[in-house]
Amino acid sequence: MDKSKREFIKGGFATLVAAGTSANAFTLQNPGRDAKDSRYIGNKLKQYSMIIDLRQCVGCQACTSACMVENSVPNGQNRTFVTEMEIGEFPNVRKSFLPQLCNHCDDPACVPVCPTGATFKREDGIVVVDSEVCWGCGYCENACPYDKRFMNKETKVIDKCTFCAHRVDEGLLPACVETCVGGARIFGDLKDKNSEISKLLANFPTTVLKNEQGTKPQVFYIGLDGRVENLLNATVSLDDMMREVIGLKPKEWATQRGDK
Amino acid sequence: MDTLITTLSAVTPDRVWGIDVPNYFWFTGSSAAAFIISSFAHVFGMEKYKPIAGFSLLMALVLLIAAPMNLIDDLTQPGRVMNFFLNGWENFPTSPMKWGVLLLIAYPILIFFEALVLYRPFFVKRMHNSSGIKKRFYLILTLGRKQINEEESKKDHHLGFILGAVGIPLALCVHGYTGYILGAVHANSLWSTPLMPILFLASAMVSGTGLLLVLIPIFQKFFTEQKRVDGSIIAELAKLLAWFIVIDLVIRALWLSFAIAFGNDPKNYLVEFFTIHFEMTLYVEYILCLLIPMIIGFTKLRNNFPLVFITGIVVAIGVWLFRWNTVIGGQTIPRSTPGFLEYTPHLLGQGSITAVLANWMLFIALVCLVTAFFPWDEEMSEHYKNKGLENE
Repeated sequence: MDKSKREFIKGGFATLVAAGTSANAFTLQNPGRDAKDSRYIGNKLKQYSMIIDLRQCVGCQACTSACMVENSVPNGQNRTFVTEMEIGEFPNVRKSFLPQLCNHCDDPACVPVCPTGATFKREDGIVVVDSEVCWGCGYCENACPYDKRFMNKETKVIDKCTFCAHRVDEGLLPACVETCVGGARIFGDLKDKNSEISKLLANFPTTVLKNEQGTKPQVFYIGLDGRVENLLNATVSLDDMMREVIGLKPKEWATQRGDK
Repeated sequence: MDTLITTLSAVTPDRVWGIDVPNYFWFTGSSAAAFIISSFAHVFGMEKYKPIAGFSLLMALVLLIAAPMNLIDDLTQPGRVMNFFLNGWENFPTSPMKWGVLLLIAYPILIFFEALVLYRPFFVKRMHNSSGIKKRFYLILTLGRKQINEEESKKDHHLGFILGAVGIPLALCVHGYTGYILGAVHANSLWSTPLMPILFLASAMVSGTGLLLVLIPIFQKFFTEQKRVDGSIIAELAKLLAWFIVIDLVIRALWLSFAIAFGNDPKNYLVEFFTIHFEMTLYVEYILCLLIPMIIGFTKLRNNFPLVFITGIVVAIGVWLFRWNTVIGGQTIPRSTPGFLEYTPHLLGQGSITAVLANWMLFIALVCLVTAFFPWDEEMSEHYKNKGLENE
């Protein structure tokens, strides 16, 4: 072996040893949380939560658009979306809207299963994903009862709603709340008893999606019609029904065209 | 009466686990089964399995080396594999995927050493008959114990017993944990059952035995000195297969009865799910791939070698389909938007049909490599000589 080669191997070995013993290399959590980066820790004095007042929602999808723009979500993927339904049959029929987003559960199903520590709950209750640590195994996506995680087509890691943590940390409201025309989305701190959200929670009957999953969701709904949760009574979305008819390219995962 | 709900617009939910995952589960399961069958001889001293014990052990090793490649292929950021080892250990108690890392490392190492102990006398012979670098290579494989005598062979036997005995729970864990991965997902009505780990183990015993029913005859016929298939061991394995199918069916019956007949809300989704897949599940998965093989194994038909060979292929495919229907099927059940999903794997690239085929090619290549290195054929012939079966 010539000298330069030997030096090269020695150098490489030394680097490996250094990397293996540096403080950040092996961690119980993840490097960002160990470094106490404020983006990872959040604000200990707050407990963020959202109320969606369905009486105010007009189904305009302004929240959907604002979120896509604010968070550069790839085309065709959504962190939040308003499902639009018709309940009942003519003539006894009415429109119903169900804005959905990550519930930032107090006892999330997605966090404990993460094998890399990439997803975690901040001290202010916001559940986030470290896009530099996530290796894209998708376990959290399968664990989420609400289907609110997705594999970002561009970053190739799991993506989800963050309650616009980057805005919240600056004292701003999440983009969807800021833009909601009917004031249907109310965001705030549950630890502040004078906040609008605390008052609404105190004065109105609220409910959460899939309470039986035991994840303690932190997105509460006013005026939620329990029937919309029974998916077996619902037709598949018209978009999906038409996909084959209008000759769109088949997706790897697609909704079966229902016969209902 | 239920109200009809017409969905005008919704998002098709994202799903992540594709064809790689059922294939991975099939490989680890078959590996565990092959190991346990080899332990019948090494740990429980069952004479009739002695001739195939060494070969089964090597298959267990190869299956488990090939298996994790599926997982790496299924990752969207495979370059970040190190993150798995370096971060997130606080989730160790709650993330079955995290347990996998220890098992997937410990288990093949254990099998490798068990194989070295088992084949040590042959390596010693080869060492004496060779020179130079080859001699040194075989010296390493003997792990420094160069004598062949009564005392040493007793020691080999003892070591083999210990490694086999430790290996059995490890083999059960290495596949049981994959059942845990699914069973732990309470959001998925098909997966969420405490029976999932043992259900996976039971069906793994079926697929592993099926695989051995295919591989053993091929190797005995074409790569051994005697050049003939030992019909008695094949019939024995077919009978064992039938018992494994009984266990599998019992656990499936427990699973489906509690989930559907006596279940609460998710049962409606499961009824719908099994209605959609009724023909496939009943006729192919249960009747063709479980009931008929069970009948063959329990009757005189098990002495019909070509039939048993085909049965081996059929049950192995049947269990693969079960893995597919569980992993993919579970993900097709709606959770937040109406409508069951369907999955069509793509042909090329990551997580594609080609990727899985490539994994099978890797498996075959590894089988060739390992069977070339380990003197499994000499060991097998020795058993037949001892049993006097050679002139049968």
